[in-house]
Amino acid sequence: MSRPTGMRSTGTRLATFGLLAAALVGLWQSLRLESWGFDGPGAGFFPQLVAGVCVVLALVVLVSPGRAGATEDGATEESNGTPETRRTFALYALALVVLAAGTAYAGFVVTAVAISVIVVRFAERRSWAAALTYGVACAAIGLVCFGWLLRVDLPEGPIERAFYSLVR
Amino acid sequence: MEALLGGFAVTLSFDNLFYCFVGVLLGTIVGILPGLGPLTTIAILLPITFKMEVTSAIIMLSGIYYGVAYGGTVTSVLMRIPGEASSVVTCLDGYEMARKGRAGAALGIAGIGSFFAGTVGVIGITFLSPPLAELVVAFGPAEYAMLMLAGLTMVTYMSAGSLPRALLMAAFGLLLGTIGSDPMNMTPRLTFGIMALGDGVNLVPLAIGLFGLSEVLFMARQTAEEMKILPAPTGVMGFLPSREEARRSVAPVMRGTVLGFLVGLLPGGGAVLASFLSYAMERKLSKHPEEFGKGAVEGLAGPESANNAGTAGAFVPLLCMGIPANAITALLLGAFIIHGVTPGPTILERQPQIFWGVVASMYIGNVMLLILNLPLIGLFVRILQIPRAYLTPMILAVCLIGVYSSSGNPADVLIAVIFGFVGYGLRRHGFDLGIVILAYVLGPIFERSVRQSLAISDGDPMIFLHSYLSAGFAIVAVALLIAGLWPARKKKAA
Repeated sequence: MSRPTGMRSTGTRLATFGLLAAALVGLWQSLRLESWGFDGPGAGFFPQLVAGVCVVLALVVLVSPGRAGATEDGATEESNGTPETRRTFALYALALVVLAAGTAYAGFVVTAVAISVIVVRFAERRSWAAALTYGVACAAIGLVCFGWLLRVDLPEGPIERAFYSLVR
Repeated sequence: MEALLGGFAVTLSFDNLFYCFVGVLLGTIVGILPGLGPLTTIAILLPITFKMEVTSAIIMLSGIYYGVAYGGTVTSVLMRIPGEASSVVTCLDGYEMARKGRAGAALGIAGIGSFFAGTVGVIGITFLSPPLAELVVAFGPAEYAMLMLAGLTMVTYMSAGSLPRALLMAAFGLLLGTIGSDPMNMTPRLTFGIMALGDGVNLVPLAIGLFGLSEVLFMARQTAEEMKILPAPTGVMGFLPSREEARRSVAPVMRGTVLGFLVGLLPGGGAVLASFLSYAMERKLSKHPEEFGKGAVEGLAGPESANNAGTAGAFVPLLCMGIPANAITALLLGAFIIHGVTPGPTILERQPQIFWGVVASMYIGNVMLLILNLPLIGLFVRILQIPRAYLTPMILAVCLIGVYSSSGNPADVLIAVIFGFVGYGLRRHGFDLGIVILAYVLGPIFERSVRQSLAISDGDPMIFLHSYLSAGFAIVAVALLIAGLWPARKKKAA
């Protein structure tokens, strides 16, 4: 598993800039907290210390010399793969977004089926029948095994409520 | 010994035996599946354990951890694909043995060596933990703070990437751990007025995002390739090594066991480092180093034993000091804390049934693994034939269930998705996410120790050098930082 050792690639720079930005925001927020109180270090002491160290380290990583290398998935950092890979990746990323949105607004069953359609039908180009059957199977197993039998909390929508009213 | 027998009484209940079996079975399957590591699996299954009794939950999660080391061997030997990181070395000689028609012997040696090392490792935990726990009772906040600093520094030093990057990941993890209410006076910190962050970033969405969801994004970038699987042997007799192979594997198994256990005790150690060190040692000691990489029995037997012993060794600092040696044990520490148990020196006095129950389950789990791994390998290999198209929605559905059920809050799923993208971006560019989780879990304990120390000393930082122990830990931390920035390491990293 080779890893990049340097800083010349844009992706690595962006990742480090992201960390730097997060650390700066953390530092800005923590500076508004009390760093020392009558009984010793205050609520802001540790976040200020850690965020400050984070900023310094991010700057060190940004300016340290190096070269672009292979990334964890084996591709060089400059290459973004074939158009087909990029398309698949975009659809998988969309599935994650649907996961978050579906949990908040649609309930478990609809979200599971939607994810299956995005991944199986669109990203992997399988048939509609395969995507829908697999999505419904995943949703049914999740709902019955986890939601009903194991009594695990699942995001609720109209389908879950109707199901629970029948079985509980 | 009486306490250990009590532990066996706990483990031999039907429920705990069942969860132990589920844990080692899942661990084996996860070890076989490339990509889905123990960290991801424990993160995904952690919320499902919330409704379980604490001992059962820890027994199952521990079973996953040590079961993975067994499962990873199968794909390494039959396909030259390591199921997880500690099996990378096994690919070198294990696969070559399989190509020479000795797949059964390779799997047999690995299985028996793993069983021996795992069992010896658990014996080590049994006898080493009580005296170590007694020693740790004498620790004050300054000693604890410096011990944690030394541990974090050691983990960053042993990280594969450059030291500044690893330190940055540690600082990022500590910063994430400060979000939410101040543990000492409940002042909200870094919440930006967002209600969902009031309790901080929870461990479950963070771990599932960084490891589970980012893994899904990595899977999207992989191209579908035909995997060549060498045939697995059938029947128990097919796994028996020849007399010569058995003779050559005895000493490497012994050495690997001792080395692996000792490496597992170190922060940053564990199965991966243990297996690589064992391979290097066996090659150095061998009279025929030229055979390494071409099917040397020693190159398989040593590392396979070392990774199992390392896995066991990592439990000692976790259980006795409450200090995780690596990211996986950090997640286990999180599981303990979520279940209201604080591992550390007092666990032996206050909750001995949990400590000894987990230790006893490891003895039983190792026997289960031996039974599972020899005759059922052919069956496990079929799991590899599940296409990505069907694996991904299943993983996403389980991640959703895992995150949502941990809090019943949809915002946690959003947080997990955000960390999925963050984790993907960081991993893709070579940042080690294991350190983030480790620092995140240690952060609140570290902060409390630092603040208590400074409150006692009225702000005088010299309190951290006041006792020999804390000064010793501080020196270790500084020495590791200097060693990590030494030109030789920089050159090696480049």
